[in-house]
Amino acid sequence: MLVTTDNLTKSYGDFLALTECSLAVSEGEVFGLLGPNGAGKTTLLRLLLGFIQPTSGTASIAGFDSRSESLAVRRNTAYLPGEARLFRRMRGHQVLDFFTGMRADYCRQRAQRVADRLMLDCRRQVARMSTGMRQKLALAMVLAIDCPLLILDEPTANLDPTARGEVLDLVHEARRAGRTVMFSSHVLSEIEDTCDRVVILRAGRLVHEQSIAHLRRRHRITARLAGPLGELPPELAHSVRIRQMADGRVELEVAESLTDLLGWLASLPLGELRIEPVGLATIYDHYHREGGGNGLALPQQPVASPLQPV
Amino acid sequence: MWSTAIWKKTWGDQALLGVAFAMLWAAFPWIYLGLSAQIEMNAFQDILLRAIPEDWQKLSGVPFAEVATHVGRVALAFVDPVVVLAATVWGVTRGSDAVSGQLERGTMEMLLAQPVRRRAVYVTQAVATTVGAACLCGVLYAAVYTAVRFGPWSGRVDPLLFLPAATNVFGLMVCMGGLAAGVSACDSYRWRTIGILCGFYVFSLLAKLVGRLSASFAWVGYLSVFNAYEPQRLVGGGWESWQRLAVYDGVLIGIGLLGYCIGGVVFSRRDLPAPL
Repeated sequence: MLVTTDNLTKSYGDFLALTECSLAVSEGEVFGLLGPNGAGKTTLLRLLLGFIQPTSGTASIAGFDSRSESLAVRRNTAYLPGEARLFRRMRGHQVLDFFTGMRADYCRQRAQRVADRLMLDCRRQVARMSTGMRQKLALAMVLAIDCPLLILDEPTANLDPTARGEVLDLVHEARRAGRTVMFSSHVLSEIEDTCDRVVILRAGRLVHEQSIAHLRRRHRITARLAGPLGELPPELAHSVRIRQMADGRVELEVAESLTDLLGWLASLPLGELRIEPVGLATIYDHYHREGGGNGLALPQQPVASPLQPV
Repeated sequence: MWSTAIWKKTWGDQALLGVAFAMLWAAFPWIYLGLSAQIEMNAFQDILLRAIPEDWQKLSGVPFAEVATHVGRVALAFVDPVVVLAATVWGVTRGSDAVSGQLERGTMEMLLAQPVRRRAVYVTQAVATTVGAACLCGVLYAAVYTAVRFGPWSGRVDPLLFLPAATNVFGLMVCMGGLAAGVSACDSYRWRTIGILCGFYVFSLLAKLVGRLSASFAWVGYLSVFNAYEPQRLVGGGWESWQRLAVYDGVLIGIGLLGYCIGGVVFSRRDLPAPL
């Protein structure tokens, strides 16, 4: 595992910013962090980099402890902060030149190629750049670093759709090159399209972990039942959950491939059949809508979800 | 403990202020001596020795008889607000930028996301501030030297007498820089760091005044860093001036170094707030 945390906790007085977070990120994986504002995503990332000290628990990157070996951690990491602030009096190309002197694994030519790809004018002074342009400049710098781990905190924030697509392509290229990416975002479609695995944070707690590959196999089928439902074949019992509503509708949640189920469905008296994939939004809503979005209604233990990964 | 890239950047950050102060201090001794020479020595002595009450001598730090000489009048340039304020402003602005300035601008995070130790960032800033102070004092002394050597009082005063005074200015700059860096390391807002140092400056001025004017509160003067900034007492020449300088700059530079060290320890251990 390239990144591991073990019961990582950070409190500020009585306020728990992150509570007993344990996760592991494999090498070569694109790992997503999802959660509303204040969920603890940035706190987790900053603990990993040694910007803040944990109240308890441990974190490590590439085998180096984030607390005591922060320098080695940062040698193995390229980090894009959620609010990337650069040196205002410098011009774009001067910023890219500056980081040449800071890291041995930084490629100035690659930084320029990324900047060109994002259509950034590096002649402009940072103070005269828009927020999106500064974000592009920071991305050009970070993506030019050749290291095992990329940590991107909301990398597509403030970017136009074209640039956003380019950034996601660059993340895919990083993965193909064997690099590990930790990706924090509010945009569910980006997480679904880019990540291999995603964790959901809420009120400082890790409440759910989801494999995107498993998620893509999940479907929800709703239909109106015109007769008796019939017996579910035993071989499908472990992957299908059925719920019958009072209005004659039936809902099936399928955790595996639909192929085996379709034959049985065809034998049933169903009308108004609708099949849709269970997207990340469904899982996210489960954790963030039921409690009114403020985390106060959740029990201390993670909710037993009908959508638990099989 | 060192980063060349940060060194170059820090020099770039302080270049404008440094050039501005260098120009100011290069011109000031010439302007000061030019204007002082407009007042004849006899007239100056009349004002100083006869018109001003003797009690006010306490404010001067040296007897008026010493001030009412060519050497004394040149020495007053080192306690002029142009020199004292500029020295303080240099230390405070550069010191406050060490940590809280970068935290407030949000650039500290991008900087420390790179494989560079916090100590390297801090030490590089401290060294750049101190070397800049030394350069500025060099400019000041060179300007005093040339103004005395070739100016209106040429031949009347030995310019080498003012070297301890210029070195005392350096001590003040290191002191203020170190204190500012120490406060900066504990703070997250540069405006607040500067405010604290301004308050400290005013307190020091007032404490020195109180200590000078009141016999029963003379001890208050020892709470002021300006008690160790007395360039007008360092122009007598000889070994005594250098001995006194060693005490003054020992105090000032010692306070500055203490501020830098405490700031370094605090900065290396504190949590870094996320940019707002």
